[in-house]
Order: sequence, then C-alpha cells, then structure tokens
Amino acid sequence: MARYGMALDYKNCINCKACEVACKEENGILMGADKHRIWVGVKEIEGEYPFLSIVSSSFEPSQCQHCDDAPCQEVCPTNATYYDENGVVRVNADKCILCSYCMNACPYDARYVDDRTMTVDKCNFCSDTRLARGETTTACQNTCPTKVRTFGDLDDPNSEISELLRTREHFSLKSHLGTKPKLFYLT
Amino acid sequence: MQIEMSRRKFLQGTVAMSVVGGTTISATNLFASNDTHDKKLTITTKTGVAKEVKNIATLCEMCVNKCAAIARVEDGVVTKLDPNPMFPKSKNMLCPRGNAGIQALYDPDRLKYPLIRVGEKGEGKFKRVSWEEAYEAILNGTDKFPGVAKILDEEQDNRSTFLFCAGEGMAEHTFKTFFSAFGSANWLNHSSICLQTVASAYGVTLGAYPQADLDNAEYIIMAGANRAEAIVTPDTMDAFKRTKGRGAKLICIDPRFTNTAAKADKWLAINPGTDLAFVLALTYVVLTEELYDKVYVGENFNGFEEYKKSVIDNQYTPEWAEKITGIQAEDIYQIARDFMAHAPKAVYYPGRRSTFSNNDFQLRRAMAIFQGLGGGIDTKGGLIFGKRLELGVHEGLEPIYARAEARAVDSSKSQKGHSGYADCAVVTDGGSWIGWRNRFLEDRMPYKVRGMFCYKHNPMMNMPNTKKTAQMLKKMELVVAIDTMPSDTVMYADVVLPECTYLERTDPVNTFSGVEPAIAQRNKVIAPMFETKPVIDIMRGLTEKISKPLFEISKKHDEDLQDELANLGEEEIVGEDGNVTKTAATMTKEEREAEVYAEFDLTKPFKHSQEEINAHMVESVYGKEAVEALNKNGVFYPNMDKFYKALSVNEYQYYPEKEKSYSVNGGKPKTPSQKVECNLANLEKKGVDPMPIWKDEYAFSVPGGKFKLLTGRHAQFTQSGTANNIVLRDLMHENYIWINKRVAKERGIAFGDKVEVSSKTGSVTIKAYPTEKIAPNQVFFIHGFGEESEALTWAYKNGGNDNAVIEDIIEPVYGAASMHETNVEIRKV
Ligand code: SF4
Ligand code: SF4
Ligand code: SF4
Ligand code: SF4
Repeated sequence: MARYGMALDYKNCINCKACEVACKEENGILMGADKHRIWVGVKEIEGEYPFLSIVSSSFEPSQCQHCDDAPCQEVCPTNATYYDENGVVRVNADKCILCSYCMNACPYDARYVDDRTMTVDKCNFCSDTRLARGETTTACQNTCPTKVRTFGDLDDPNSEISELLRTREHFSLKSHLGTKPKLFYLT
Repeated sequence: MQIEMSRRKFLQGTVAMSVVGGTTISATNLFASNDTHDKKLTITTKTGVAKEVKNIATLCEMCVNKCAAIARVEDGVVTKLDPNPMFPKSKNMLCPRGNAGIQALYDPDRLKYPLIRVGEKGEGKFKRVSWEEAYEAILNGTDKFPGVAKILDEEQDNRSTFLFCAGEGMAEHTFKTFFSAFGSANWLNHSSICLQTVASAYGVTLGAYPQADLDNAEYIIMAGANRAEAIVTPDTMDAFKRTKGRGAKLICIDPRFTNTAAKADKWLAINPGTDLAFVLALTYVVLTEELYDKVYVGENFNGFEEYKKSVIDNQYTPEWAEKITGIQAEDIYQIARDFMAHAPKAVYYPGRRSTFSNNDFQLRRAMAIFQGLGGGIDTKGGLIFGKRLELGVHEGLEPIYARAEARAVDSSKSQKGHSGYADCAVVTDGGSWIGWRNRFLEDRMPYKVRGMFCYKHNPMMNMPNTKKTAQMLKKMELVVAIDTMPSDTVMYADVVLPECTYLERTDPVNTFSGVEPAIAQRNKVIAPMFETKPVIDIMRGLTEKISKPLFEISKKHDEDLQDELANLGEEEIVGEDGNVTKTAATMTKEEREAEVYAEFDLTKPFKHSQEEINAHMVESVYGKEAVEALNKNGVFYPNMDKFYKALSVNEYQYYPEKEKSYSVNGGKPKTPSQKVECNLANLEKKGVDPMPIWKDEYAFSVPGGKFKLLTGRHAQFTQSGTANNIVLRDLMHENYIWINKRVAKERGIAFGDKVEVSSKTGSVTIKAYPTEKIAPNQVFFIHGFGEESEALTWAYKNGGNDNAVIEDIIEPVYGAASMHETNVEIRKV
C-alpha cells in the first residue's frame, strides 16, 4: 500500500528520449510515434535567428499523471480503468472494450491504443513489470542521464519524493481542471 | 477500423499545429514515424515473464562512452538493459542508444556467417562459407581475388602492402595486436575524422587531452560542442544537472540553436569556422585588462610574453572579432571578464569530434592557452587530467620484417609549400584517412598497397567524399571486413568475417582515468549467436591459418631472416690476439627454425581467451578479488567496498570528496616542461604557425544563393553504427535538413518536402525541416543516414548521407578531415 507519484526536475531534461526507449523495452510497447506511454513535449522556438528566446524552448517530459481524480476512470463504462492499491491508475485489458471514452476524457493525451490487444494502454508506473518483481523504481527514472525523475510514495513522509515536494517549489499540469495529478514539476 | 478514435488522429493534429502554429506543445515527436509497426507488431519484449532470470554486468558499446549496464536475461533472451550505477564514468544512466542495444543484438540483418564475394566488387553478392573456407580464401584467394600469400610473395614480403583500419572500441586493441604482429606500417583509425586536432593541440599545449570537471565548474563556455545531444559521459550528466541558474553558468557558442543552447544561459550564434577569432578576442581582453592569474602564468607558462605581444600587436580586439564572428563585442568583453572572475573554476570546454575548419588545430591551441590564463588546469572545477589505475600487461608480438616499408606517406613538399608532407605537416599514429585514401587513388604511394583488413569501421559512411572511398575499395585487390552488420563498406569486401555484438563477448579490460578513476570490463551476456565470434577468436583462427605460410614467404624474401636461420648457434670468439675462432653449432636446423619462428608466430598473442588475459592483467596488480569484482559487477577500483554507496535514488558516492583526484600534477600542465606552451618553435620548422594567429583565409563566406553545410550528432544515433536500429529509428525515422524558415518560405519549401543538396562532391535528396534554429546561409543535417547497402532493411536509402556531399578538404596540420568547409546548393525536388 502506497500512493505513488513522480517529481520531475524538468529543467534537467535534455530531450534525449532515453526514458521513451527504456519504457518501450521494459514494458514491451509497440513501435510508432503514436504508441508511447511517455514523451517529451517540445515547443517550436520563438524569435528569428539569431534572436531566439531560450526560455521558449524548454523540454517538458510527460506521461500519465496518475490523477487522484481521474476523468478517464470516471467515464469508463466497464471499470476497465481503475485505481490500484498504490493509487496507480491502471487499465484492465480484459475489461476494455475500446469505447475510447477515456482517451477523449484524458486532458493530458496520455492514452493510446495497443493494436495487438485492441485495448487502451498508458503508463502504469511499471506496476506489472518492475514493481511487480519488487523493484522500487520505474524504468524511465532509472535510465535518465540527467536524473530528471524521482519516483516514490507520497504517503511516506520520509520518502525522497515527499522531502523534495516539501523543500522545492513545484507545479502540476493543467491544475485548474481539478484532476489532482501525481506528477509534479519542480521549479 | 476499430482504431478510428486512436491517438494517431489527435497526434497528427498536434504535429501539424506545432509546425504551422508554432507555439503548441507537441505531445509527440516531429521526426518520429507513424508508419512503423510494419509487419511485425512486437519488437520489444515485456520484461518479467520468464522462468530463469540472470543479471549480467557489462559495458555498452552503442557509442564510445562505454557506460556500465546490467543486462537482464530471461530464459536466455536479453529483455532489458539497465544502467549499472557502480561506474563513476557513466554514473547511473543509459542513454536512448544504450537502451536500444538489445536491437543491435537481435537485428535480423546482422552478419551471421562468414561470406566470400562471388559477384562483382561492391555488388553485394556473397556466398555463405565455413570459417575454414573464409580463412583459406584470405590466405589463398579465389578465382575472384588474390589472397594474402600471393600478394605478399609478389611484393617480396613488404608487409606494408596491407592497410589495417579500425573503428574505436574496446576490442580495437585486439585487432591492433594482429596489425603489429603482421608487420604493416599502414594503420588508420577514426581519429583523423574525429578528435585528432583537438587531442593533439591540447597534447602539445597542455601535455594531454584533458577532461573537464563539469561537476564543479561555475562557468562553462561550450563552443562547437553539443553535450546535450552528442552525449559524453560524465560531462553530459554533470553539466545539465547544474545549468539554468543551479550552480553552473553555461555559455553556448554554436552556429545552430542546439539542445545545448536550449539549456544554456546564453547562446551566441557564431559564423562557422570563426571560433578562433572569438578566443583570440577573449584573450585580448584578458591580457589588456590584466585579468589573468599572474602568479599562475608566471610559474607555468612558456612563451607568454611572445604570445601576449602577438595578440596585442595584431589588435585582436572584440570589435575586430565582432566583424568576423558575428558575436557582439560587448558579449565578448563580458564573457572574458566573467570567465576570469570564476577562474580557476571556469572551463573553456575542449570538445571532441571536432575538426570543423582548417584552422582547428590553432583554435584548440588558443582555447588551451586561454584556459591556462585563468589557472584552471589540473584543479577542481577546471580542466583535469585525473588519476589512472594501472593494469598489468598482456604481451603482444612485434617481429621485425626487414622487407616491410615505412608508412606510405607522400613526403614531396610540393603541394602545401613548406609543410612537412605533401598533404599535412605531421603524420601521427592514427594517420590521415582522407589523405591516405586520396594518395592511394592518385598513385602517390611510395610502394603498392594491395589489400586491407577493416575492423568495425565504415569508411564508406564515415569520411568525406563517399565516391572516392568506393573507388578506393574497388581498387584494393583484397578487402577483409570484420563487422557485425552488412554495412556499406562490407558490401565492398571480398571476405566478410562476422563478429558477434558487444553483448556476446568479453572485451579487453580497460582503465578509465578521471577525478574518480575505475577499471571496467565488458562481460559476455549471452553466447554468440549464429556463427559469429568475438574478434579475439577470429584472430586466433585466422593466425593459425596464415602464420606458417606467411613465415615461409618471409624466409623466401627476407635476407636478415635467412641469416638468422643459417646461424645454428655458432658463436664467434675473438681471441686476445685478435684471431677469430668459431664454436661448433649447438643446434640442428629444425631447432633453430623453431626458435626463430617463435618470434614470428602470429598465433602467440591470441593463445589465451579474453577472460584469461583479463584475469591476468587485473590479478597481477589488484589480486583475485578484483578479478571477481569485475566478473560480477563489471567495475572495480581500490576501496570500492568502503567508498561506493547510494546517497539517494539519483545520486551515488564513488569516492569521498577528499579521495577525489582533481589534481595529479600539482596544478601544472603535463608537457615535458611542465608549462603551458604558447610558442612552439618546432612546429614552425614544419610550416605550422608557432602561435595561434588569425589569417584572412579563415574568414567565413558563402557565395550568394549557396549554403554552408554543417553536420553533427544526435542523442539518438551514433554515426552510421545505429542506422539500422529499429527502436532508435522509431524516435527519428530519418534525418532532416535544417533550413532557415524564412529562406524555406521564399523557396516554397515546407516541412517534409524533398530537397536535393549538392556540392562539388555529390548530391543527396533529403526531407526539409524549416526552422529558425539555423542561419539563412547555412544548412544542417545529422551524420549517419542514407546507407546504400541493400542488406540493411531499415537504413537502406533512408535519409541522406552527409559524406556524399562533404568535400574532402584536408586540415593542414594533422591531415584531419575539415567537415564544415563545404558550400552546397539546395533545390526543391
Ligand atoms: S531520459 Fe531524462 S533527459 Fe532524457 S528525455 Fe527523458 S527525462 Fe529528458
Ligand atoms: S493523465 Fe489521463 S490517463 Fe492518466 S490518470 Fe489522468 S486522466 Fe487518466
Ligand atoms: S513509469 Fe514505467 S510505464 Fe510509466 S512511463 Fe515510466 S517506464 Fe513507462
Ligand atoms: S552514452 Fe549511451 S550509447 Fe554511449 S555508451 Fe553510454 S549508454 Fe551506451
């Protein structure tokens, strides 16, 4: 029993995409730009050469936010999308009927269709791979060269992520929607 | 059908927006492909479904960094590569390529069996043979090509009639051992198309090619190096954890707005090839405003006064440099002052793959001297040499062949006036690749070179002017290629020997110097697949086949050897009276021959397995425990058990602060004089400027309507070596040419449009990426794409090969390839 979340020191991110490959290799994800559990958001740079705005070009690593109030879960007619005992938002492929309501409901564009099973898939914090065999962190966290990510239990006041969130300023994406994401961007 | 509502739809919208609209954050990657999952849906394997699981510590070989990895093997299949946090050099990371190493292992296009050419040269028609048949073909040829024996016999045992070339890698050493034993003088490696000028310039100026302590530097100038994309460990990790107002100020100087620029505090666009003027102007400010560390300079510089006089007399002012570089004078003043305010904890980053322009050697010299002015040498936060943990030795074999000629150079000084050789001033161990190739094609060799052994090296892709390389390979009578993949170069081979990948072999143990030195070993993860072998086994098999027959050829032609054999142990004794008497022969002819042959026995260095050799090299210095540690963890250094510990999920301690080797030479350079060498008279003798100076011919110019072609690297690909990796290709389907957005608009070029890029050397067709990240008179695309080998399913004709367009311009000092001296035309097709 835990309440897993992830803090992202996103200013470290160099957009190398090691996390994307690690996720695909660990979790056996399909190839294809539209088949990913994790990505790095990039903005088109502002300005004209050579007067470009450095701040406009930040990299924003992202994945499923594991919302505490997840719109995807609310709209799922078969309860295929559910919260597991660690607060991780999961999809039960056996129950998914590919109505794709969840894909429309998710404000973070975190879901895609796995063409093999014809069900919806997304990041599950490596729950059925790494965590299931007792490892304490995710593939994307583990591999990141510049150590953007800290994964851990938000309910444990002594965890590193709790400590980080106590001591560093942070924000969530689209917080006005009230989804209560468990991905935190450190400033 | 059922995927009507799939994410693909949304994403296509997003992609379009981010290109056209300009400000939307794109959830996907512009360059990634949507048309994948060709036929096979599952490329990757989900972990954790096996009965038997093993974790094996190894080292990555997807690029040069050799990061420590742990391979997860499930029921004999490698399902995941994870970072091994025990190695101070790579800390706890694997980059995207490191993660995709599994695909190198399971690439369906891998070379699986030995092959012999049956078609025309370069046609790519081979027949599968046994190892024995392949070795036999190397020794005695076929009806299509001559063997080593025939060529050596005809060339009267001139061993240098064979060229040996190799790409960088841990097993390069094994192949080089074969080269030394074989006795040729012609060795070429990647350095003259990579880091030759930077390594040599720092070598002659500071005594070594240093590392940078980016973990502690407060101020970093990164010019012409792109560590956010061209990953170098530990620099990439150290730097970007601290940029953006978190300890290290980063100034990025680059003609392009790179990912490094995106992480910098300041990005200054510079005209390509003019960095030297920038450094000279920084130096001018520091000298005229007397900002340099006077004590350090007083104690540790040679030729300082002459250099100072040269810089000041030549008026290398920031205002002067502004006109040349395009960087504003006030920025130059500011950077010079800030750098010195932070010195010695300030780094002018040396860079690596780097010969961009003809003045590169002088540029790197000027950078090294500038670094010295702040005293940031062999010290925390500056450039460091680091400590090295010595290893025991493995004996090679270096027979003396009387008939072997010296390296094939052209020493007529006709071409470049007063320089040392016709194509460059200095000839080093790595040689000048394009210089050598061009001499060979133009018949400017002092003797015939007729064959080549090529190990894990891809000259067809890796050096400017692909057409000439193809001609060279066609002209070589015997080409033996050892590789894992059917590369463009392999297509020109006569005999192909399939090496196993890095995950299937143990490589020579290696030592990694640094602030936190360590020894690391690549351990075999699974047994070699198909009929592939590690290069040491290939060398063993090959030398067992050719050693004796080649000795017979030496016996036939080598008079020194004949004399040696004729001497059956008689000794000449000179008596007191001066009379010479001979003792009787103590050996039979056979005994004598066996004794002499031992010096020429090519099999000798390959008798033991790599595992045995490594164990010996380590145990002789560090004991048995070190051998066990390396086999188990892949990493060892003294006191590791005490020092190494996890500090958090993201941080590890390798050495406590007081045990770190920031300084190993008392803060002095490592030159023989222990001083920074500003003025090198011995270079002047070779026609090289003894001090860095600017020359008008270095100025940047592009004829109207043309573009300067820039090339570079990327975090997701390592040159052509990863071009066929399907998981990496998934991140970037092909390379795109960057072209300034406004220029593209004028010419009616939109994202994804095909354009033809052409120069004097050749042309390629490639898709366009209009962006403001590049200047209107420049274009850029990354290296390593556009393979012509049909045996590469995914890489074949995918994107454009820069070297088909880049002109083979030879840098004058070391003969390196100048990569950014080519102008191109662009045409929408
Ligand atoms: S691995 Fe880390 S640095 Fe690389 S893209 Fe992912 S979050 Fe960014
Ligand atoms: S990010 Fe989207 S998919 Fe993930 S929990 Fe929130 S709504 Fe659901
Ligand atoms: S937590 Fe696991 S499943 Fe989620 S993005 Fe990271 S690697 Fe993928
Ligand atoms: S930087 Fe990447 S490719 Fe290079 S050795 Fe490290 S993990 Fe492998």
